[in-house]
This record gives sequence, C-alpha cells and structure tokens, in this order.
Amino acid sequence: MSYGLALIYGVLKIINLANAGFLMLGAYVTWWLFTAYHVDPLLAPLVIIPVFFLIGVGLERTLVRRVLGSEPIISLLLLFGVWLVLQNLAYVIWTGDTRSIENSFIESTVKLGGLQLSIPRLYVFAMGVLSLIALQLFLTRTYLGRAIRATAQDRDAARLVGVDVDRVMGIAFGIGIALAGFGGSLLSLLFSFTPDFGRVLSLKSFCIVVLGGLDSIVGVAFGSVALAIAEAFGVRYMPASMQDLISFVVLVVVLVALPKGIVGTLRSLRRG
Amino acid sequence: MARNGAFAAIAIAALVAVPFVAPHAEYALDVLFLIFLYGAMATAWNLVGGFAGQVSFGHAAFLGIGAYATAIMTQNGISLWISVPVSALLAGAYSLVIGIPAFRLRGPYFSIATIGIGEATRLIARNWSSLTGGVSGLTLSSAPPLLLQYFAALALLVAAVGLAAWIRASRFGYALAAVRQDTDAAETLGVATTVAKTQALFLSACILGVAGSVYALHYLFVSPDSVFGFSTSIALVIMPIIGGLGTVTGPLIGAVIYTFIREQLAATLANVDLLAFGVLLIAIVVFEPRGILGIADRIRRMRKPPAVTVPDG
Amino acid sequence: MADPILEGRGLTKRFGGLIAVDGVDIAIERGEICGLIGPNGAGKSTLFGLISGVMRPTAGTVTFNGRSITGRSAHDICVAGVAVTHQIVRPFRDMSVVDNVMVGAFFGHRPRPRGRGGARAAAMEELEVCGLADRAESPARSLTLGGHKRLEIARALATRPEVLLLDEVLAGLNPTETDRTLDLVRTVRERGTTIVMVEHNLRAVRGVCSRIVVLVEGRKIVEGDPDTVLTDERVVSAYLGTAAHA
Repeated sequence: MSYGLALIYGVLKIINLANAGFLMLGAYVTWWLFTAYHVDPLLAPLVIIPVFFLIGVGLERTLVRRVLGSEPIISLLLLFGVWLVLQNLAYVIWTGDTRSIENSFIESTVKLGGLQLSIPRLYVFAMGVLSLIALQLFLTRTYLGRAIRATAQDRDAARLVGVDVDRVMGIAFGIGIALAGFGGSLLSLLFSFTPDFGRVLSLKSFCIVVLGGLDSIVGVAFGSVALAIAEAFGVRYMPASMQDLISFVVLVVVLVALPKGIVGTLRSLRRG
Repeated sequence: MARNGAFAAIAIAALVAVPFVAPHAEYALDVLFLIFLYGAMATAWNLVGGFAGQVSFGHAAFLGIGAYATAIMTQNGISLWISVPVSALLAGAYSLVIGIPAFRLRGPYFSIATIGIGEATRLIARNWSSLTGGVSGLTLSSAPPLLLQYFAALALLVAAVGLAAWIRASRFGYALAAVRQDTDAAETLGVATTVAKTQALFLSACILGVAGSVYALHYLFVSPDSVFGFSTSIALVIMPIIGGLGTVTGPLIGAVIYTFIREQLAATLANVDLLAFGVLLIAIVVFEPRGILGIADRIRRMRKPPAVTVPDG
Repeated sequence: MADPILEGRGLTKRFGGLIAVDGVDIAIERGEICGLIGPNGAGKSTLFGLISGVMRPTAGTVTFNGRSITGRSAHDICVAGVAVTHQIVRPFRDMSVVDNVMVGAFFGHRPRPRGRGGARAAAMEELEVCGLADRAESPARSLTLGGHKRLEIARALATRPEVLLLDEVLAGLNPTETDRTLDLVRTVRERGTTIVMVEHNLRAVRGVCSRIVVLVEGRKIVEGDPDTVLTDERVVSAYLGTAAHA
C-alpha cells in the first residue's frame, strides 16, 4: 500500500488519496468473490491486479491527465473526489456493515519453536516483502521501470531522451492502483472492514512514507518496520480503542523532531 | 466594491425580515438557519483551504471542540456570554497546537496529515469519557428560542463573510494568495509564510468554534461521531469547491447548494448524497475548478462578446 | 574594501556527497555591480541560495551591514534588505502583474508603504521602472519570458532591497530585451541599490559589472575587474574546458 503511494507520488508528483478507496475496494472484491462465487481469497489478486491496473490507466487517461498542469491542490481534490465516490459507492452497494472473510486458512496457525504464529499473517508479510522486492527489481532492472523513475525525477528531461512520458505516467498510475488493490486484498485476510477501511490504512501508509522518506523503496520498507514496532509497543500501554492513534502520534513526533524522516536523518548524521 | 456592499446590505436586511414576515414557516427558517451555519463554516474553511491553498480534511476538529466546550459549560450553568467566546478561543488554541507540526508539511502532505488530526481528535473525544461522555456524547436540556438561533447563525455568517471580504483585499490577503500560488516565492518576497498560514488557521478555527456553539445549542446533543465525524470535514471541503475556491461568496453559494442537495437526498438511500457530491466534485475540478462562480463568469462572457474582434483568429 | 555591505565567509553547502559550494569567501562593496560567473554547476545559484536564506549553509557565515544573517529564514533576510530573483521565473500566475509586485511592496524591507493604496502606488512605480506599467492589470501568466524576467525584477525591487541578487535575468532574452534589461540594471544601481548578478552572457557582464567573481566547481578561483578576470588563464581554461566536454 505505501509503496503504491510512493510510486504514484514519485511519478506524478501528486499524492493519491484515491488509493484509500482502491485499497478498500480490493478488500471488498476479495470478499465478494469469496462469498458469491467461492473463489479462494488467495486467488483474488489474480483478478484484482490486472483489473485494477486497467482502471488505474483509464483513470489517468480520462481524469488525472486533465489537471496535471494546474495547481497541485487541484489534483489532490480530484483524487479526493474519486475516493469519495468509491467509498460511498461501497456504502450503497455493500452497506456500512462490517465484513470479514472466514475460512479454514484464516484460522490456521503454525507452531514455530514454542511460538504460535498465524499463517495468514505470515503469508501477508511474505507477500508484502515479495512484492516490494519485485517492484524494486522492476524499477531498477527493466526499461519501463527506469523510464518510470526518470519521469518521476524530471518529466521534461525524460521526454527529451525519448521516454513516452504520457504512456509511462498512465502505467505508473495503473501500477499504483493495482498495488493498492492487492494490498487491500491481502489485508482483508487479516482484518474485518467497512467502506471506511481505507482511511486509517492510508494514514498509516502515509506515516510510513514520512518515516522512511519518499524517494527510496528501502526507506518505505524501513518505515513499515518502524511503524510495526511502534504499534507493537503502543498496544501494551494504550487501550485497544486508541490503537489507531499510534500511527498518528508517531507521525507528529517524526514531523516535529525529524522532518527529514528517519532515513534522511541517519544519512545527515553519518555525514555529520 | 460599493455595489457589492449595497447588495450585501439588501440581502442582510431581507434575511433579517424573513422571520417577521413569515413567522410560522418553521421549515423554511430551519433550512435558512442551516444555510447560515454551513455558510459560516464553509467560509471559515475557505480562509485556509481557499485563500492560503492549504486543504484541510480535519476541520471538524474545531467545530467539535467549540460544540463540546459550549455543551460542557452550559451543563455547568455558565452563561453563553462567556462560553461562546471561550469555545472560539479553545478551538483557536487547538489550531495553534496542530498548526505547528502540520505546517512543517507542504501541500498534499499537509492535507493527509489533517485527516490524521481529525481522526485523532475524534478518538480522543471518544476515549476521554469523564469530560466528553464518551461515545454516547452529551445532551443539553433546553434550547434558546428558534428566533435567537436564527439571528445568531445569521450574525455569524455575516461576520465570517465580512472577515473574508476584508482579508481578501488586505495585506494579509496578499500574503495568503502568494502562499497559495508559490510558497517559496512568497518567502523570498518577505512573507513569513508559516506565520501567515497559522494566522489563517487560527481565524478559521475560531469561527468554527463559534459555529460549534451554535450547533450544540441547536441540536442539544453532541457526540464524537457527529461533530468530530469525517463527513463533517468532507462537507467543509465540498462547499467552497462547489461555489468557488478562494472567493468570498463561493462558500456561501456552495452552502446553499449543499444544503438543498442534502435535504433532497438524505431521505433516500444513506450515503447517496456523499456519492453525488463526489461526482460533482470530480466534475467541477476537471471542467471548471473555479466552481459555480467560474461557470457564471463563463456565461457572462459568452453573452457579452469581446468589444474588439480579432480578424482571422 | 574596508566596509563591505554583504560578506560571506567560508560558505559551504553539501548535498549528500556532493559539495556544491566549497569554502567561498565573497565580499560585496556598497553600490557596486558585481558579476558572479562560472561554468554550469559551479555553484553560483547555490551561493545565492545560501545568502538569501533559501538554503542553510553547511558551514560558513553571511554578514549583512555588519550583522550576521547566517541561517535566517528567507523572509527575514528579505525584510533585512537582501532581495533575490529566481533563475526559473516564479510568478504568482493567477494574480495580476501589479498584484504580484504589491506582495513585494506589502512585505519586504522597511519602511513599508502604508495601506493598499500605498502598496499599489509603490508597485506601479517599480512597474514603470521595469517597463511593465502598461501590463499592470494583465494576469501574470500572460507575459512573455522577457516580461516574466522583468516582473521578477520589479517584484524584488518592490521589497526596497539594499542588495539585489539577480540570478540569470538575461538567459533566454533576445538582444533587444537584453539591452533593455541591462539598462534597467544600471538604473537600479543609480538609485543606490547594490547588485550582484549571476550571468552566463560574458559580454553583458563585461559591459555592466565593475567587478567579477569567478566560481569553478564550488570554489572561488579569481576575482577582480572585468578585463583582467576575463583574460585570466584559469578562467579561460575553465570555460574552454567545459565547452570541450559539452
């Protein structure tokens, strides 16, 4: 989820609030495929990733492209509008009732050296790491990936060296949306959800990005781990109903104390 | 300028006269009251979101603080003459606490952080039960007469729009417009941009604090999910955009449209209203980011062809 | 130079591993027009950034009128009396030309004009000086590149600076516009404003500057009067060197 955010932001220089909506939609599609057609929730991403990619490309072509030249708050508001539509469409279609996916896989655990570990948690973690690595390889090793990074750094320069910038931006947007949908699908295995599912999660993802610094995928990975640790500690000292506050507290502390993010701060400390 | 002033004076006089001309049209008075309240809130949001270009998705926090402060003080028998100004100042003080970390972030980052601020404030209100009554909220026993509420909301609206009009033409207004368009360039011209943003946020929060008081005294009930709810913050974003972002009268026009659409759709399926606003928001941003005022401007130009015709295009 | 109006000592700026400006000492005399030249990437704009407060120096100090302004914010430094124009123009696009300049007049160095009328009058004066008075009410985005450059100057002048830092105001201008802008620079200097200009157009620099400072790879390699500096072996090889690489 947060690398989806980082990628879209990097390439389009816009923060994609619509990601929160697509994340939620990923969870709902997984749930809907499972309850209506008995599709294994683990297979849902096979449908979600390509479909969401196409939706993302289409969204970029039809709407986002029109506002790229105007003030940054315009694209922010546009994507906010998309989120609003998705969220309330979900309310209309699926109501505000809490949904969750229940099957034998979700309940399964494994014993590892005395520790009782939940298999879906391990699975989600592994998929997260795998997709992070895959994304990193894609961005550094393939022509398209490099073109995306070049466009992210300097749109005009990329155009000059022959990158088809319009196509690249559409693809990058599609990838970001596909990753958000994939993330939502994975998270539906762990949490129950409502149409408002995306908001808190996108806040966390934003927190991760601020923690890790926007530009590097290593930073994003680092930020995720830092937030996970903070949450694990926070749970011991805070009531359960306040748990969602933890990421926000971390965010404020980071902003006030380390505006460059943790990675940036470490870097400048090392150079001292 | 003088024409606008005259127009405003006539409009205010007409609105003051309404309850005397039609004292039994309670539904109409109620709708007007809502338009005044929403109009004032939207105008307040617009000082930060429109004038200074810092889009906040957490403005419900200030409304909520004003509403709770007034509710708590009223329950303890404190006069409205004290509780309403204190509510405004508490909301203002909270905006300073928030502004310091949040304005370290630029543009879209600030906006996302404000989602967090709104959510965090709601969670605090839910969990601080000894003060706020927790999830079940606070109930007040007696409302001021409807007529008094009507005039209080109208006065708040007039004050908010008047303040916005004054700011827009002032030195402060220039600072905010410069911040909105290019913060770095504004800095190099001597504008203390963070101070300007914080001042705008403070004024905005104070107005919303008073709006919170009016809200609490009208509904006689405040709960974390009503006043601090995300949907309140969303409404505050939508109204100025519909009417015309960064203009003086735009938020008011937006409030009128918002109130009517909501009154029409709220009775149908839940959330259909927000869905409609989402579609409207997208359409406006893509086709006419200046909102209704922008569309009106286009129509005026189409009717009045340019005096000089350019030969051969 | 007994009493420089603006002085940088040991100014250094690092970006990650890259040293953009490396221990530069620079002193600007009251009332001069000083040229700052050097090949692309020599650190000229970065040096301007350090002086104007847009960036914080990694090391070194800046003094203005004998007081340290090191590390102060950009708006503080502008109010103190050092204004800067942007190499890539940054107009407030949706404001009118005169409103753009009024921002500078409203804020900037003291004494400030009184009220909206005062700021407007001051702004119109600068537009007159910069030859933009007839475009005062047009939206800023409608100007040509030359117009944008002059708007940058008018806006900076409206802040009533004692020192004006001009960052490549001639780049992209045609010969007529270049001459107009150079005349403008001389006029501003005659009003008593000290000027430092980063410039690539060496002919223009030679014509207007009384002194030249040369930066190469973040270091100051030579300074002095234009004729001596521009024939200096090190300067010639620095320029020819980059030309050969380009």
